[in-house]
Amino acid sequence: MNGVATVTVRGLVKTFGEGRAARRVLDGTDLTVQAGEVVAILGRSGSGKSTLLHLLGGLDRADAGTIEVAGMDVSGADERQLSALRRRRVGFVFQFFHLLPELTGEANVLLAGRVRGAHPDAAARGRELIDGLGLRPVAESLPSRLSGGEQQRFAIARALVNDPAVLLADEPTGNLDVEAGAEVLRLLRAGAAGGRAVVLVTHERAAAEAADRVLTLHEGRLV
Amino acid sequence: MIALALAGLRARRSRTLLAALGVLAASLVVGTGVSVGYALATGFERAAEQADLPDIVARFDDTGTEPLDERVRALPNLAARSYRFERTNIPLTANGHHTHQGAFHVLLGDRRGYLVAEGRDLSGRPGEVVAEQGLAREWGLRVGDTIDVGRAGALRLVGIAVSPDNVAYPLARAARVYLPDVYGADTPANLALLWLNDPTKADVTLTQARSVSFGLGRLEFVTRDGVKVLLGQAAGIVISLLVAFSLVALVAAGTMLAAGAHADVQRRLAALGVQRALGFSPARIAGLQATEAALLSLPAAAAGIAIGALVVAGPSAALLASLNERPPGWALLGPLALALAAVTVIVVAAATWPAWRAARRPPAAILRGGDVDPRSGGRAPGGSFAVLGARFATAARARWAATVATIAVCAGVVTLMLALASLLERLRDDPGTVGKRYQLTVPLDASLAGRVDDVPGVAGVAPRYTADAADSYRLGEPLRLVAFPGDHTRLEAPPLAAGRRLSGPGEIEVGLGLADALGLRPGSTFAVQLPGGTEARFRVAGVVRALENDGRIGWVRPTRLLDDDPDLRPSLAVRLEGGADRDAVTRELVALGAPPQSASAATTRNAQFLGVLASVLRGVGLAVGLVCLYALVQALAVTARERRGAVALLRACGGDAGTVARVLLGAATAVALPGAVLGVVLELTVMGPVVAHLAAGFASLPIAPGPGQVVLVVAGLLALAAVATALVARRVLREPVVVGLREG
Repeated sequence: MNGVATVTVRGLVKTFGEGRAARRVLDGTDLTVQAGEVVAILGRSGSGKSTLLHLLGGLDRADAGTIEVAGMDVSGADERQLSALRRRRVGFVFQFFHLLPELTGEANVLLAGRVRGAHPDAAARGRELIDGLGLRPVAESLPSRLSGGEQQRFAIARALVNDPAVLLADEPTGNLDVEAGAEVLRLLRAGAAGGRAVVLVTHERAAAEAADRVLTLHEGRLV
Repeated sequence: MIALALAGLRARRSRTLLAALGVLAASLVVGTGVSVGYALATGFERAAEQADLPDIVARFDDTGTEPLDERVRALPNLAARSYRFERTNIPLTANGHHTHQGAFHVLLGDRRGYLVAEGRDLSGRPGEVVAEQGLAREWGLRVGDTIDVGRAGALRLVGIAVSPDNVAYPLARAARVYLPDVYGADTPANLALLWLNDPTKADVTLTQARSVSFGLGRLEFVTRDGVKVLLGQAAGIVISLLVAFSLVALVAAGTMLAAGAHADVQRRLAALGVQRALGFSPARIAGLQATEAALLSLPAAAAGIAIGALVVAGPSAALLASLNERPPGWALLGPLALALAAVTVIVVAAATWPAWRAARRPPAAILRGGDVDPRSGGRAPGGSFAVLGARFATAARARWAATVATIAVCAGVVTLMLALASLLERLRDDPGTVGKRYQLTVPLDASLAGRVDDVPGVAGVAPRYTADAADSYRLGEPLRLVAFPGDHTRLEAPPLAAGRRLSGPGEIEVGLGLADALGLRPGSTFAVQLPGGTEARFRVAGVVRALENDGRIGWVRPTRLLDDDPDLRPSLAVRLEGGADRDAVTRELVALGAPPQSASAATTRNAQFLGVLASVLRGVGLAVGLVCLYALVQALAVTARERRGAVALLRACGGDAGTVARVLLGAATAVALPGAVLGVVLELTVMGPVVAHLAAGFASLPIAPGPGQVVLVVAGLLALAAVATALVARRVLREPVVVGLREG
């Protein structure tokens, strides 16, 4: 899959607020990410990094511009199509893990595979991921009993359970110590090695070093 | 503080609106309950005062007024007196309507004992008539219309009167009109209206009246208090139900508002912690919360109570009119103001308490607990998002228990309303409800019982004698005697409450209502004044739970009744075989010479009223169902708000509207299903028996829901859970996923 553009963004615009309080955080942003590539996006707080990621994953809607993810036109999609996009083509990794506190680590991973329309082999794949990521000994533990690194590894397994073409990671190491952060970056790299496009938003230079390309979001554009 | 509170309410506009709607809905119910309850509870006294109702009404055979007045004016404690001459079963015709059950009262004194509600009173000139309000309403009569009153002929209607000594026509059997005395001194009297100086000493006057009544036939006394008790029995059940209903609504609203306030405080803990760190005192924080709650609840409660009062003003006035009672008018404002104060205090307390409790913790502790922290459950749900939703709902256990309790009480009330409505209809239509095992009565001679018994489809037949009598000890407490030769339980078997069945002509089974009134128990001796004037004494064999005639009834063998009146004619009570063709049996009985009549249930005379009451109860059940819906929506909205991060995560993982709906439906079902089951159990074990006792402690009222009603309540609550799910899911799905993720 190397060499094929999995994410293509053209002229993306997103404004928050109205009137004099309006702030255009993305102002004609362009981006292309190839399959198997890890792209790190740097930028100051409030520069629009997370917003860009949310738009790529169909969590939010752009004011203008086009987004194509794994062959799907995201900018013109309705809510049902966006759900399908998030279900099968995109996986999210968040800074604060977002594991459901009622469920064990394994149940959190398998949860994404239980959504209607999920990958038919999601459950088996989830168990493989848990084994592969060395999480089996703590698979039955609740999130409150897991370390930050373990929680983020479960979150990565959850993001991969439906075998998405694109992995979107929002400050995945922001809440981890150096060692755990390095392990998470290694896993993201491994994800890309499997043919995925990985977009990593971070403000840490060290994290960016794990990427194939580093872009900086400045005044609404990637440079 | 008010400006700050207003700003806080504006900032949470949609939640404020939802909470205000909840307060408005609960207040609407409270306004309804207070309006009808107060109107019914005070309607009789109000009407009695306005109508100058006498303290005692004595009925007797026709007597000349002069000798009568000699005795009456000598009575002790007497303030005023008036007489009437009453004739019943008079044909009345007006406005295209006709009845043979009219009654006219010729007024033989100046003091009336009724209130002229429209038009004017009789002037004393012939040709005038005043009609009772129920008759005028039922027949659409207006002042100036003409009524044909038996032999008195066509009379001009000059006024419409309210007389609270009885319920209005057609609830009352007789359609009553008042005529002037145009016969002079020749007109006899058969009614005496007595006003007392001290109504609390009516017993002294009654005892003396009894002692000087020699020569007066069929003397009966009715006191103002007695009328009030009789009317109160009819209104009492409605009042108690409305009060219970209002309390349920208040408790439900209070619980849900407290739960909502608690969740709100949980979400705002960080802000509270910052306020405390900046030097705000717990009292100021609680005060701010109380001000917000008061600003929200006062207008909402006022609007709800006002709407509730207005909504029931018409039906309440109609109900009062049918009972010949008067609406409260402006006097209702006092109770409504009290209700407004009560609702506001409850809402303010429910909203303030969680903030006060939280704000009293050290600021650092509040800041540490700034995030919502739902309790962890345990292992993963078995693959179902509905189970996950149920786990969300039950995570905050105290709130879940409070919501389930609210739903259970509401479901119990709904079940009770449905069961009561069915009971009322059965009382109206099904003689089996009052222990009658026969379906038909035939006005044939007892000697024809054998021929009736031979009719195909007839399982049993026996002559049934009835007589209206009075007890000999308590100033003529009226009662009905029913007599069957032999074992009466084959055809009529009210449940035995104490003692045993009667076994001979000297024994009686008395209704619990009569036993309670006269202090009778098995083994007591009961002396009865029979219609023919003789006194019979019976030994009480048993006490039975009988509904007929308000429990003032007794079952005996016919021997003593026939001794008193050898001409007493029974009707034949006919019991049909199971599955018998009723029409075919009827045809056979008609061929024998008498058309059969259906056996009457408890109150055939009031069939129309019972039908209306059943509809009202079903309507009340529907309204309580709406309270259930509000409670479900509120609980679900709080859960969804609290777990918006989890819901957003599901959506980020590709969960669509169906996934979100399944989660929310699971959460709603986790509240609705146990609530429904507990509600039915509550009705069966507590509400039903209590209401049955309140309504008719003298009888066995079967206020148990049928299987269909239980299914209806459970299915209805699950349907409401689905509606609540749809409403909340719609709101949740409108929110961008990222908003939930930021908070989660």
